[in-house]
Amino acid sequence: MSSNTTTRRPVSPGGARAAAPDRRKQYRRRARIADILVTSLWASGAAAAALFLATGGSAKFGTVADAVTSIGIVTGLIGTDFILVMIVLAARIPIIDRTVGHDRAIAVHRSLGKPALYLLLAHGALLLVGYGMSSGINPIAEIGPMLAIPDMPLAVIGLGLLVVVVITSLVAVRRTFSYEGWHIVHLLSYVAVLVAVPHQLSVGGILSAGSVERVYWIALYVVAFGSIATYRFAEPVISTIRHRVRVSRVENVAPGVVSIHLSGRNLRALESAGGQFFVWRFWTGRTWWHSHPISLSALPTDKTVRITVRDLGTGTSAISSVRPGTRVSFEGPYGMFTDAGRTAPKLAIVVAGIGITPVRAFLEDSKVRPGETTILLRASTQEEAYLWNEISELARRKGARLYTMVGKRAQSGPGWMPQADASRGVTLRSVFPDLADSDLYICGPTAWLDLVENDARRAGIPEHQLHTERFDW
Amino acid sequence: MRTRATLSGIFASVAILVIGWQAGSAAVTAATATSAASGAGARPGTPGTATSPTPSATTTTATAPATTAPAAASAVTGSFTGSSTSTPYGSVQVQIVVANGTMTEVKALHLTDDGGRSVQISNTAAPILRSEVLSSQSARVSTVSGATYTSDAYLTSLQSALDQAGI
Repeated sequence: MSSNTTTRRPVSPGGARAAAPDRRKQYRRRARIADILVTSLWASGAAAAALFLATGGSAKFGTVADAVTSIGIVTGLIGTDFILVMIVLAARIPIIDRTVGHDRAIAVHRSLGKPALYLLLAHGALLLVGYGMSSGINPIAEIGPMLAIPDMPLAVIGLGLLVVVVITSLVAVRRTFSYEGWHIVHLLSYVAVLVAVPHQLSVGGILSAGSVERVYWIALYVVAFGSIATYRFAEPVISTIRHRVRVSRVENVAPGVVSIHLSGRNLRALESAGGQFFVWRFWTGRTWWHSHPISLSALPTDKTVRITVRDLGTGTSAISSVRPGTRVSFEGPYGMFTDAGRTAPKLAIVVAGIGITPVRAFLEDSKVRPGETTILLRASTQEEAYLWNEISELARRKGARLYTMVGKRAQSGPGWMPQADASRGVTLRSVFPDLADSDLYICGPTAWLDLVENDARRAGIPEHQLHTERFDW
Repeated sequence: MRTRATLSGIFASVAILVIGWQAGSAAVTAATATSAASGAGARPGTPGTATSPTPSATTTTATAPATTAPAAASAVTGSFTGSSTSTPYGSVQVQIVVANGTMTEVKALHLTDDGGRSVQISNTAAPILRSEVLSSQSARVSTVSGATYTSDAYLTSLQSALDQAGI
């Protein structure tokens, strides 16, 4: 998965030869690919509208009824295109994960959800009005004739499902669901998208049989559903079968925190970089129905992997009690919280609580020169100083400066550090004097992380130097 | 970087839209040219009707020969196929059955069928047009609302059949 794995060296000062210009070049290459991805997002929307124009659509604005109908058709085409783009973004396609990162891809996916739904609702409403006007009846009376068109009832069901999917994904509503409940509802979007296909091909004339437009349109579906089938289903299944991962040992790290040691075959072939995560599923009677994104807390060997989990919810507490021998299936590796994501000459790391896990593996994997790295460890209490001993050992070997902050979040000041430090006048700048020239890797609970991130933005760090990994779903 | 991505996105979008629009215009022109040519082959007198789908133009062109014809051929019998007339939603072609100078039946050989919506419109409009045409014995009937393209093409094809029958 990660392109930098081939150059990975065992941890040693000698392995720290990564030159700064290299990083800039890597970053530029990624940025170029990201630009192309953004451009194709725009282009696909335009292409949807162009399908309408290419079938003589520009001549269909003569009367008000025609104009309303035409706009209705275009909103349907663009809305559907957005839905397909959303599917592609959620498919965890390696090139997207490696260039913009899975979390940003999902952010774009989320931001397209409401516009896509609005466009499709407008599509339905405008066509009711447009068809109604041309037949001289009101839009409500047009519902009957509209549903009488073959394939239309299915399309209406599809739109209904899509409304449900988007509503359950609104932040406020989503909080009331468990992840699994939400996910099952979300899977309905595949059904919603597929049942809308027949009416697209049969009701309008744009995608008529044998036309180039139809070929293009079907190709979009093939790409969207093909990437889901490949990267969300086939690849994880093949990986799981090939690597035969099982639980070998569960180790208590601290109250409520366990390291799960897994064993498998040929694990280096997964090419996971330090800081990446996998989505794990433990096949026991109580846990098989939910999966968990969990970072590796150490670089894998060829036969073993370690993950470290805190009991965040009912699901995770069930997996902390899995027995040795339990079969494990997984998807991944994912994530850009890695050495390959670096863009700047210096490295700054801020980490809180169980967020330590990807940082632990990232640090082990990263090719840093002595003096390049500064680490700030954060915990509410001394008991939450998970893996700090390992981090401090790595910091010593890598020549990194290490600071710690223990205590509850302050009520004043930046809010992400303990009161004592805030009162002393500690700032992000005072901890990381080279912040402007640093990649800042932040990992921890969302609420805390947002505070650090905002603080860093206020300090003027460029957006591409910010790397975050939020620890909740 | 983001500005560059947005700019190239806008550029790509505009380019695609222009290409689509041009392809669309080219397709429409080509379709009209074909239909005009086929109309001319079937009946030299009515080549212009296919290119002007607006109701007023069709009605005037169609009515002119119909008013001059009837007296001459009162004993015509047989079936006559009208020219195929294209619309953005598919072509329309009708056939008439004439007995002793009277039109007794109108059959739609092909109706606008570009998608389920078009089919629905055609199926609604065709029976209305048929009965109006049979009762007025001419193509001088009003278009069915919501089916302007279909009506115009139907009446144009019908007029060319009437011209062949000489009624």
